[in-house]
Amino acid sequence: MWPRVLSALLGIWLMVAPSLLHYDGHASISDRIVGPLIAATAIIAIWEITRPLRWLGIPFGLWLIFAPAFFSFPSNALVDNVVVGVALVILAFLGGGVREKFGGGWREVV
Amino acid sequence: MAEAIASRARSGSDTPPGWSYDPSSWRERIPILILALVGFGIASYLALYQLGVVRHVWEPFFGNGSERVLHSAISRLLPVPDAALGAAGYLVDAVSGVIGGRGRWRTLPWVVIVFGVAVGPLGAVSVALVIIQPLLVHGWCTLCLTSALISVLMIGPAMDEMLASLQYLKRRSSGVAEG
Repeated sequence: MWPRVLSALLGIWLMVAPSLLHYDGHASISDRIVGPLIAATAIIAIWEITRPLRWLGIPFGLWLIFAPAFFSFPSNALVDNVVVGVALVILAFLGGGVREKFGGGWREVV
Repeated sequence: MAEAIASRARSGSDTPPGWSYDPSSWRERIPILILALVGFGIASYLALYQLGVVRHVWEPFFGNGSERVLHSAISRLLPVPDAALGAAGYLVDAVSGVIGGRGRWRTLPWVVIVFGVAVGPLGAVSVALVIIQPLLVHGWCTLCLTSALISVLMIGPAMDEMLASLQYLKRRSSGVAEG
């Protein structure tokens, strides 16, 4: 659960970072789009039934790490994005254990 | 069939086969119902503001952000204010969440599926609006963010019940007897 809560907080941080660190342009647009997506998917993945959504932390994290290379990010936004991106990729691998049993799970119905 | 129902009634088990708990138990559903009712209250209040019935909107953090968001062009894309649609969504969640008893994943599978499907788009639209607010309207709206958080919190806990109903319908259509 804690890796999901931390990921959600990082998503919320990205939503407020452009105002607090005073940057705009591509960096702020990127952060204000992926921030809510990271927060929402991390919150949904708190529950065991939807825990596999934690893996979305990897593409979101990779986006944050590599987007500054394609668009011109101010240096504080660049550092912030790379640090948050690396943290999200690491968090995606943590806390995957599931205690409850769900019959055949989602695999049974798709 | 009758014996199966009688034996289930005797054992008192509403837990789906292969599950460790009953996703339709009240312990599982009441938190979602509370979230749906709070969401309905917030969305109704915002809709009343958008309709001009309420003159001012509560906004503790973002100055005139709520006014800008709630009177933006996006909020008026449809014939009814967007918060009214949100309120309707929460109402569908609350009604489809409260109907039926502890075994409703198998007695009322379609109600459970309506419930699960209603929760998803409400959350998705809320998150989309959260993304749009600062980008197009350049403002945040505290109660809109609160409503979005509530709608996202409802998705995870609603999905287990929907999975139990989908598994039940699949077993029934392939003719596996329920014991």
